[in-house]
Amino acid sequence: MTDDPTLHALLARVALQDRVALHDLYKAAAGRLLAVAHRILNDRGAAEDVLQDTFITVWTRAGQFPALRTSPMAWLTSIARNRAIDVLRKRKPETPLVWQDAEGEEHQHDVQDESGSPLDQLLARQSDGRLGACLEQIDTEPRTALKLAYFEGLTHEQLALRIQRPLGTVKAWVRRSLMRLKDCMGEPA
Amino acid sequence: MNWHLNAELLDRLAADYTLGTMHGGARRRFEAAMRAHLSVAQAAARWDSRLAPLGEQLPPLPAGDALWSRIEQRTFGTGASSSAASAAPVLRWWQRWLAPVPAGALAFGLMLGVATPLVWQTQQADTYDTQLPESYVGVLATAQGQQGLIVSSLRHGKTVDLKIIKAVPVASGSVLYLWSLDAKGQPQRVSPLPALTGGFVSLTLPGSSNDVFARAVELAVTMEPAGAEPREPTLPYVYRGLCGKLWRVPPAPR
Repeated sequence: MTDDPTLHALLARVALQDRVALHDLYKAAAGRLLAVAHRILNDRGAAEDVLQDTFITVWTRAGQFPALRTSPMAWLTSIARNRAIDVLRKRKPETPLVWQDAEGEEHQHDVQDESGSPLDQLLARQSDGRLGACLEQIDTEPRTALKLAYFEGLTHEQLALRIQRPLGTVKAWVRRSLMRLKDCMGEPA
Repeated sequence: MNWHLNAELLDRLAADYTLGTMHGGARRRFEAAMRAHLSVAQAAARWDSRLAPLGEQLPPLPAGDALWSRIEQRTFGTGASSSAASAAPVLRWWQRWLAPVPAGALAFGLMLGVATPLVWQTQQADTYDTQLPESYVGVLATAQGQQGLIVSSLRHGKTVDLKIIKAVPVASGSVLYLWSLDAKGQPQRVSPLPALTGGFVSLTLPGSSNDVFARAVELAVTMEPAGAEPREPTLPYVYRGLCGKLWRVPPAPR
């Protein structure tokens, strides 16, 4: 993965309106940002549209990046995720509980179905990292809610529908889980 | 309600926003607050940093040249191509320093910085002495090209007055720093600025203004860590503009 100093340098050049730097940034980060958008939208075309919007935003706002004091990839990811979430929320119905894939096979959301899912595989890959270790300290169901919110851009209400738990319970899970993550991880470097 | 001043509430809302559970009007209002207050954007950025490793674990998807071409088209317009050697800007010294500031800021600074003394001299063309005392006057624009800051000091005084037209948000633990730029664009550290609250603030220089600003062509302000004594700016300028010298130079003897 492209390291932070490289991305920092590219963003600094993009802030100077260097087109080549924007292209280099695209080559370095587009695949990961496209994956983030696709994970939320589950639609390649829509995810590509989000990626276009993301890089246009980066071109116009790169000068604001230093003041945020975050990492380049965190900043880029936040732009892509939030744009994807905006697109997702314009869709209707917002949270189908039952749907058919392209082959016509029917799927149903259920919290138990999340075990062994791509989400859990992702979490397993996180186990070596600090975030992964902190996530491991959170109970299974709240952790699932947290991951669904992050990877699929679900609101509290949508989470409650998806995992079939009362809204108040889901809100409390998410709140406590985020605070436990913060306590565990501390302030970002 | 200034909810963004409540650190605990701000952190909770930033967490909800970043995770994605915030929606509807609350989400739009939070985004508006991020644009208006740096502290709100920074609170969200801290949560972005915490949660970003999740997104980074997703296997990348191929993003090819065709997609880049569409981005290029939308960003730069017809016929744009970053692969052409000419697309890489050769940045001159002044572009490197000014580039973080949009063209509007340059235009604004140039207009006021040049026009002010010219208009003044036109009005006073039939006299030798000026109505105003000999002074340094800097008219600085924000990075967005808006009127930002007027810096003034008597030529032989030690006090710098700053009139704040457009305040910029200053991150916690940071201060604004005044720089003097010479004709080559080289910045010289002047002083950290007091908090720009209210209409005016003043600053006392260690020496006379003439010693500090004699070679100044421009003045600029950056945001720097509090207590630091940077030898050169570490972040893009948040204000920048020309430094006018309000006195008449006697004509050279014939």
